Amino acid sequence: MNKRADVAKQITEEFASSGIKLVATLPDNWINPLIDTIDRDRRFTHIPVNREESAVALCSGAFMGGTGSVALMGASGFMTLIYAITKINYTYEIPVFYVITLRGAVGDPNRHHVSNGLYLRRVIDAIDMPCTIIDRPEEIPLLSRAYRHSRNFYRSTVVALTRDLLR
Amino acid sequence: MNYVDCIRFLAKRRTDQLVITSAGNSGQAWWAASRDAEASFYLDASMSLSTMFASGLAFALPEFKIWSFMGDGAFCMNPGMLMVERDMDLPNLTHFLISNRRYGATGNAGLPNQKRNDYAAIARGMGLDRVFSFDSMPALEGGFDTAVLTNAPRYTFVVLEVEPFTDADQKLPHPPFEGPEMKYRFGRHIERITKRNIFGYELKDGHPE
Repeated sequence: MNKRADVAKQITEEFASSGIKLVATLPDNWINPLIDTIDRDRRFTHIPVNREESAVALCSGAFMGGTGSVALMGASGFMTLIYAITKINYTYEIPVFYVITLRGAVGDPNRHHVSNGLYLRRVIDAIDMPCTIIDRPEEIPLLSRAYRHSRNFYRSTVVALTRDLLR
Repeated sequence: MNYVDCIRFLAKRRTDQLVITSAGNSGQAWWAASRDAEASFYLDASMSLSTMFASGLAFALPEFKIWSFMGDGAFCMNPGMLMVERDMDLPNLTHFLISNRRYGATGNAGLPNQKRNDYAAIARGMGLDRVFSFDSMPALEGGFDTAVLTNAPRYTFVVLEVEPFTDADQKLPHPPFEGPEMKYRFGRHIERITKRNIFGYELKDGHPE
């Protein structure tokens, strides 16, 4: 098993052991192998959405029905979500678990992610969302810890996966 | 048809459906018609997300019927939602698009592009086949059972063409719940009717330290 496949497998195992059943996704090159792995895994219902805000609402509704979920997307998509997160997740205190790519950080060769490099972390900090960065395969178990934190505190949390982990 | 009369009709025909309302007018009208403080979630100012929220709920609770209201102002912000709803094809979800051709929550400001918007045609163009549209009370009364109350094995999309709120309607009270209270009222109701544990997430590692 190559590194990307192994990382994708470990992440899906963390999702499954957390009780996640619904996975809402939008693509990003770095997580496309993970999305493919999830799509093939019958423990999950994979819902590809066409706008990141739809993932916020879908996962929020799933929470109100007692079903675990994760919104998986790229950094740029996450940056479009400030109103949806602060409106639904924060106003109603409905936790959603976000897993995103840490685009624009050192090592990202894509210059068009300069804005994410400059502002992604600061935006997450500005909305006081607990953020965990996972940079190495041995840190992948932090995913389930972050998920449990979101459920224990009814706070949305985000886990950002780095290029070194995913590529 | 009159907006509030239309919603009052829906409230009368409702049995045990869970209801998700959208921003502004639909929440006001549903609160006026139902005074439901448990089995309805008033998702205020959600900017096009009420039916996606309802889709998550319907996915989680396949044994329950879900009605979700959305204004056409919200719909125009995110019509791609219909593609996701089509693909999810949840037979327990009915999406009511309340078309008043206004941003009702924003003082009835006119909706851009309103004159040529054909929401039923848009839905059909996206591949939905259970699409219904009603523009009068007699039509709604005559077609409601077929559109909504049959146990169709497919997701249902219903367009309700209504007049904008009047000035008097705009003064209808909003549901008097802050966000967390809304969450707990609705969630505790879900816990009661499903015996599910919505709020008591159980620690995998045992008891809290």
